[in-house]
Amino acid sequence: MSNRRSRQSSRASRISDDQMIDLVGKLRQFLPEIRERRRSEKVSASKVLQETCNYIRNLHREVDNLSDRLSQLLDSVDEDSPEAAVIRSLLM
Amino acid sequence: MMSTYNMVKQEFIKKWITTLHMLDCSVEHPLNVTERKNAIKLSSDIAMAAARSGSTVWSRALISRSGNKTANKPVARRILKKARNRLKNRCLTLRRNGNFTAKSGVRKRTELLKSLVPGGELIKNKDYLIRETLDYIVYLRAQVDVMRTVAAVDSVTGNLTNDNK
Repeated sequence: MSNRRSRQSSRASRISDDQMIDLVGKLRQFLPEIRERRRSEKVSASKVLQETCNYIRNLHREVDNLSDRLSQLLDSVDEDSPEAAVIRSLLM
Repeated sequence: MMSTYNMVKQEFIKKWITTLHMLDCSVEHPLNVTERKNAIKLSSDIAMAAARSGSTVWSRALISRSGNKTANKPVARRILKKARNRLKNRCLTLRRNGNFTAKSGVRKRTELLKSLVPGGELIKNKDYLIRETLDYIVYLRAQVDVMRTVAAVDSVTGNLTNDNK
């Protein structure tokens, strides 16, 4: 993860600075940690990529958990209960 | 920016309602909890990809991937067939680089990112990968936000029924 190692790797494997600045700018609203780095010029490509990966993984996990919750929710719902009525109106 | 995001969420909701019905008609009831969870997740993923009108790699890859899971459901299969064929040809011409070794943090993490974005492993151009990633994140966020809202119905109505008891 050291900068020295990144510089020694071939040009082709590095994301350009312009691309990285562009990426950081767009991700700012989604990643609170990066928002604080606005003023610094050097943003580690490796760090941004790692945070992006973590963010996507977390979102995947949330979708999985929410699918779990929704399936349990529908399982425990009586046909005549108010929950069923609300869900039915949401989904119909 | 925010109104665009709301449009994304609305498009997702519309598509999700459709895919939920679609899967509901094609599965055998009653479902156990696990089967229902998988159906919810599957319909949600297909809806997210379908909400993305346009030719992104991630949305087509997601539909292709979901198509395999619906192999036994003729209704779903028919609808996904077109999208799946569109991606099939690309998969045949692009292969993983067998000589890949993680030499730097950037390279390793780029490969990781490719594995997280649907179809990412098919994208060679870094700039393209970044654009696909940003696009994918927006729709992923919308998917989570909507599902969270629906799941929260439980806590809202739960309070209501408790008051009536």
